[in-house]
Amino acid sequence: MSTTASAPRTPRTPRATGASGGRRTSASPGPTRHHNALRRRNTALGWSFIAPNFIGFALITMVPIILLFYMAFTDWNALTTPNWTGLANFERLMRNTTFRAAVAQTFYYAIPHIILTGILALALAILLNQKLKGVAFFRAAAFFPYITSIVAIAIVWNLLFSPTYGPINEILHFFGVANPPKWTVSSTWAMPAIIIVGTWREMGYYMILFLAGLQTIPRELYEAAKVDGANAWQRFVHITVPGLRPTTFFVTVMLAIQSFKVFDLIQVMTDGGPGTSTYVISYFIYQKTLGYYSTGEFGYASAASLVLFFICLTVTVLQFIVNQQADLVKPWWSSLPMIVGLVFFALAVWGFCVGHALIIGWGWYLVLFVLCFVAVGVHTSILRRRQS
Amino acid sequence: MMGKGLHRVGKAVLYVFLVAFAVFLLVPFFWMIMSSLKKNIDVFTIPIRWIPQVFQWHNYVDIWTQAAMGTWLQNTLILSVVVTLLQLLTGSFAAYGFARVRFPGRDALFLAYVATIAVPWQAYMIPQFILMTKIHLTGKGLWPMIVLQAFGAFGVFLMKQFFETIPEELSESARLDGLSEYGIWLRIMLPLSGPALASLALLTFVTTWNDYMGPLIYLRNRAYFTIQIGLKTFQADPQGSSLNALLFAGSVLSILPIAIIFLLGQRFFIEGIATSGMKG
Amino acid sequence: MRSGKALAALTIAGALALSMTGCSNGNSTNGGTTPTDTGGTTPVTLSMSGWSLSTTPEFQTLVDAFKTKEPNVTIQIKEYDPNTYENLLLTDMTAKQAPDIITIKQAKYTYQWATGNQLMDVSDIVSSLPSSVTGAVSYQVNGKSYGVPYRQDSWLLFYNKDLFDKAGVAIPDGKWTWDDYVNTAKELTTNLKAAGSAALGTYEHSWQSTIQGFANAQKGDNTNPSGPYFSGDYSYMLPYYQNVLSLQDSGAQVAYADVTTNKLTYQAQFGKESAAMMLMGSWYIATLVSQQKSGDADQFTWGMAPAPQVDSSTFSTPVTFGDPTGMGINANIDPSKLQAAKDFLAFVASQDAATALAGIGITPSMSSAAVTAAVFAGAGMPTDTLSQTAFQTHKTYPENPSSAITMNISTVLNDAHTAIMSESTDPATALAQAGTKVQNKDW
Repeated sequence: MSTTASAPRTPRTPRATGASGGRRTSASPGPTRHHNALRRRNTALGWSFIAPNFIGFALITMVPIILLFYMAFTDWNALTTPNWTGLANFERLMRNTTFRAAVAQTFYYAIPHIILTGILALALAILLNQKLKGVAFFRAAAFFPYITSIVAIAIVWNLLFSPTYGPINEILHFFGVANPPKWTVSSTWAMPAIIIVGTWREMGYYMILFLAGLQTIPRELYEAAKVDGANAWQRFVHITVPGLRPTTFFVTVMLAIQSFKVFDLIQVMTDGGPGTSTYVISYFIYQKTLGYYSTGEFGYASAASLVLFFICLTVTVLQFIVNQQADLVKPWWSSLPMIVGLVFFALAVWGFCVGHALIIGWGWYLVLFVLCFVAVGVHTSILRRRQS
Repeated sequence: MMGKGLHRVGKAVLYVFLVAFAVFLLVPFFWMIMSSLKKNIDVFTIPIRWIPQVFQWHNYVDIWTQAAMGTWLQNTLILSVVVTLLQLLTGSFAAYGFARVRFPGRDALFLAYVATIAVPWQAYMIPQFILMTKIHLTGKGLWPMIVLQAFGAFGVFLMKQFFETIPEELSESARLDGLSEYGIWLRIMLPLSGPALASLALLTFVTTWNDYMGPLIYLRNRAYFTIQIGLKTFQADPQGSSLNALLFAGSVLSILPIAIIFLLGQRFFIEGIATSGMKG
Repeated sequence: MRSGKALAALTIAGALALSMTGCSNGNSTNGGTTPTDTGGTTPVTLSMSGWSLSTTPEFQTLVDAFKTKEPNVTIQIKEYDPNTYENLLLTDMTAKQAPDIITIKQAKYTYQWATGNQLMDVSDIVSSLPSSVTGAVSYQVNGKSYGVPYRQDSWLLFYNKDLFDKAGVAIPDGKWTWDDYVNTAKELTTNLKAAGSAALGTYEHSWQSTIQGFANAQKGDNTNPSGPYFSGDYSYMLPYYQNVLSLQDSGAQVAYADVTTNKLTYQAQFGKESAAMMLMGSWYIATLVSQQKSGDADQFTWGMAPAPQVDSSTFSTPVTFGDPTGMGINANIDPSKLQAAKDFLAFVASQDAATALAGIGITPSMSSAAVTAAVFAGAGMPTDTLSQTAFQTHKTYPENPSSAITMNISTVLNDAHTAIMSESTDPATALAQAGTKVQNKDW
C-alpha cells in the first residue's frame, strides 16, 4: 500500500530537477546543504524511474517472498494457521540425508553447466556475429532448443540416451566402447546426461544476450586493432572481452542463478531418479509442495528455499564484488580474502553434504566465509569511494 | 593464391560444421513433427520409429476442429504481446534509474531485485495466489497473468547492463541542450539500445509464450486458455490415454509464430547498428 | 523514506499473514451447523470438482443419475487439469474457492485435506453405507470418515488369449502363484519367438505400484500402524523384486530402463500385442474396450485373471490392491446446501449409482453380481467366467493407507524402486536403506 501511496509524490519532484538542468550526482563538490538538496532530488528522480516497475514487482513478487521468509520458521501447510517453530525446519533439513544429497547434486549440476554453457554461448555468439550466408538460419537453429517444448526435448533426449536402443550408445558401440553408460537410467551417468541436455538447450538463450552485447562494441576498435597488426586472439582479449563486460556480468549472474535453481529439466528428464541421484534443491522443494507425493509442508519447503536463496545470493554477491573491483586499482593482496573466503565456502558446503566435520563443523566455516566476505565488501567500498 | 584457397576450404569446413550443428539442434523438432503425424497410440514404440508408417495429416485438421486452437493462439498472442511491451517499457525505465541516477540505497535495492530471481517459484506461489485473490485479480480474464509477468526483475537487470555501455558524454551533451532525464531515456538511451531491447523482447515473448504453470493456476476459464494449457488438455493422468499425436501437432504449431518472430527480430543483431553516433 | 517503504512492505506482509491465519477459523462453525432440509422444493445448485470431462464420463453419469432422483438439485462440474488436480485444488482451497463437492481423485490426499479443515466429517453417511461398498477405509482419519467411495479399482492380470494360443501355453486358470507367473512369462517369450512373433511374455509398467502394491497387500494389512509398512522393514518386498529382475534380465519383459527412456505406454504395449500378459488396474478395462472399438488397439481376444498369489491359501479370495475414488464435502460449504451435498454423497455409493457407473465400464465401489453383469454386458467384453470371477471376487487392500506419513514413505519407497529397477542398486541394499530412512523419519 505504501508503495502506491508514495508513487504520486515522486513524479512531482523530478520534473523540477529536469527543469533546473537535471544536475547529476557525479561528485559535484559544494556546500553540504546544496549537496543534501541534490541528494534528495536525485533520490526522487531515481524512484520516479523505478516506481512503475517496482510497484508491480513489490506487490506481486516481493511481498510473497518476504512472507516465505517468515513461513520458513513455521509449520505452515497452506491450509491451517502457521505456528512458529523457530529453527525446527532448518534442523530437520540438516539431518535429512536426501536434502544433503540434493545440495551436493545442485553444485554438481551447476558448476559444469555454468562453465560449459557460458563458454559455448560466447563462442556461438562470436561465430554467428560474422557476415555469413544464412546466418539468420543458424541463429534460429541455435535458439530452437530453447523454444521447443521441454517435454519434447526430454522425450527425444531420453530416446537418444536409451541404453539398448538409443543412437548414442550405438555410436559408442561402433567406436568399440564395450559397456556404454546407461545415461538417464544410471545413478552415475544421469546427472552428466542432464548437464549435456541443459547446456544444449540453454546455450542459444545466452547466445542471444551475447549477440546483443557484441553490437555495443564499436567496430572501429577492431579496424584500428587490425591496422596495428593485432591477431584474432589479441583482438578477442583486448577488445571483445572488456567490451562485453556488462553483458558477461549479466549472463554469469543469470546463468548461475538459473543453474542453481534448475528444476524443469530434472523433472522431465529423470524425475529425480534413479534413486535420489538427480535430486536438486528445487526438486526437493517441489516434492514437498506440489509433487506426486506432496506432503504440503510449505513451511519446511520455505526453509529449503531459503537455503537455495542463500547459495544464489552468495554467488551473486560474489559476482557483484568482482564486477565492482574490476575498475579499481587495488593492492596485490586484495583478492586474497576472497579466495580464502571461497575456500571456507567450499569447505562448508562439502562438510554439510557429506555430514562430516572437517576439524571444525561446517557451520563455523560458513561463519568464517561470511566474515571474509564482509571484509572484502568493506574493502571494495572503501576503494571505490577513494577512487571515484 | 594459396591463402585464398585455404580460406575457401576453411569456409567450407565451417559450413559443414554449422550444418551438422544445426541438425543436432533440430533433432527434437524433427521428432516432434514426425510424431505429430502418427496415430496417438503409435507415438512411443520400441525400437524408435522416426518416420510414421502412414502419415496422419488429419491431426493438423483435428486440432483446429476438435480443440479450440484458434482461441488458445489468440489468448497467447495477446498475453505475450502485452507482457512484452510492459516489460520493455517499465524495465528500461527502471533500468535508467538504476544505471544513471545515483541515490542512497540504490545498489541494495538493485541487489534485492536480482536476488528475488533466486527464490524458486513453487515455494511462494501459494502466498502469491492468496494475495492475487485478496486484491481481486484472479478470475479476471488474462489480467492476473499480465500483472504477474509484466514486472519482472529480469528486464530491469538486462537493460541496466546495456545502458551502462552507452557513453555518458552523450547524455551530458543532451543535458546541455536542455533535455530532461526522461527525454534522455526516450531520445538517447532507447534508440541506442536496439539489440538489447530486441533480445529482451524476444526472451520475454518466448518465456510468456511457453509458460504453463502460471496460466494453469490463474487461467481456469476455458475461454482464456493459452496454448500451453490448451495442449495440456491432451495429456491424460496415468490411468487414461493421452492424445500424444495431437499434443505434438499443437506443439509444432505453437513454435511457428516464435520462429517467425525470431527471424524478423534477429536482424537487430547486426554489427554496427548500436554504434552509430557513439563515436564520443 | 527507505525505512518507511520497508516498514510498509512488512505491514502488507503482516496483514497477509494474519488473513492467512484467519483461514481456518470459520470452518468449525460451518461444519457444526445443523443442515436445513432440502428434500423439499427449493432448488439448490452445487459445484463439484472433476477432470478431463471429455474422456472421463463418470462425473456427468453420476450427476445425471442423481438428477433423476432429486430434480431440484443441480450439480455443476468444475473442470481441473488431471495431472495437477490436487495442486490446483489446493490453491483454490487456500483462496476459499474450492467447490462444494470435492472429488478425491487420490485417496492419499485425504489426510492433508481433512487435517487441514477442508473436508467435512461425513461419518454418518459412511456408517449407513451397505456392506457391499468397499474402499471407505481409505478416507478415515483419526477414526472419522471424510469421503465416500464411488469407484474402487483393483489390480488384475490381463492376458492376450490369441498370443497364448500362438505360443501353445495354457491360459491362466485363476490359481497362479508368482512362480507360475514368472515361469509362464518366460515360456511365452521363448515360444512366441519360436513362432515368429516379437511379442514378449509380459509387460510391467514403470510404476512402483506394479511391484510394491502387490507386496504390501499380500504381506497383510498395510493399514495396520504397527505393521512392517510403517515400521520400515521392507525385506518382504525382496522376492517380488527378484522375480521382476529375473524377468527383465531374461528378456521376458521390456526392461525398466527401456520403458522409461522410450516413454512406453502400457495401453500400446498390451493393446498393440507387444506383450501377452500385463498386471494393471481395472480402469484399463474400459480403455481397452474403447481402443479396440476405435481401432487404436489391435483386435484380439483377451481375458482377465486374478493377480498371482504368494501361495495356494488365498486362491479362493485372491489378495490384490487398489485405491478408491471418492467424494467429500467442502468443510466451508454454505449450510443451506449441506443436505443436498450429503444426499449426493450417499447416492454415489448406492446401487443406482453403481449400475449407472457399471454401464460405462467403470468399477463401482459396490460390488455385486448385478454390477458385474452390467459391466460384462457391454460390447467387446470378455465372455469367459474366470474374467467375471476375477473382476468380482478379491480382497483389495489400499495402495496408500491413510496416515500422516504415507506420502513420505511412498517417496522413500519410490526412490528405492527406481534405484532397484534401473539396476543402480541391488534390491536388498536399496530396501534396507529405505527401511532405515523410514525408521529415522529421514524426510
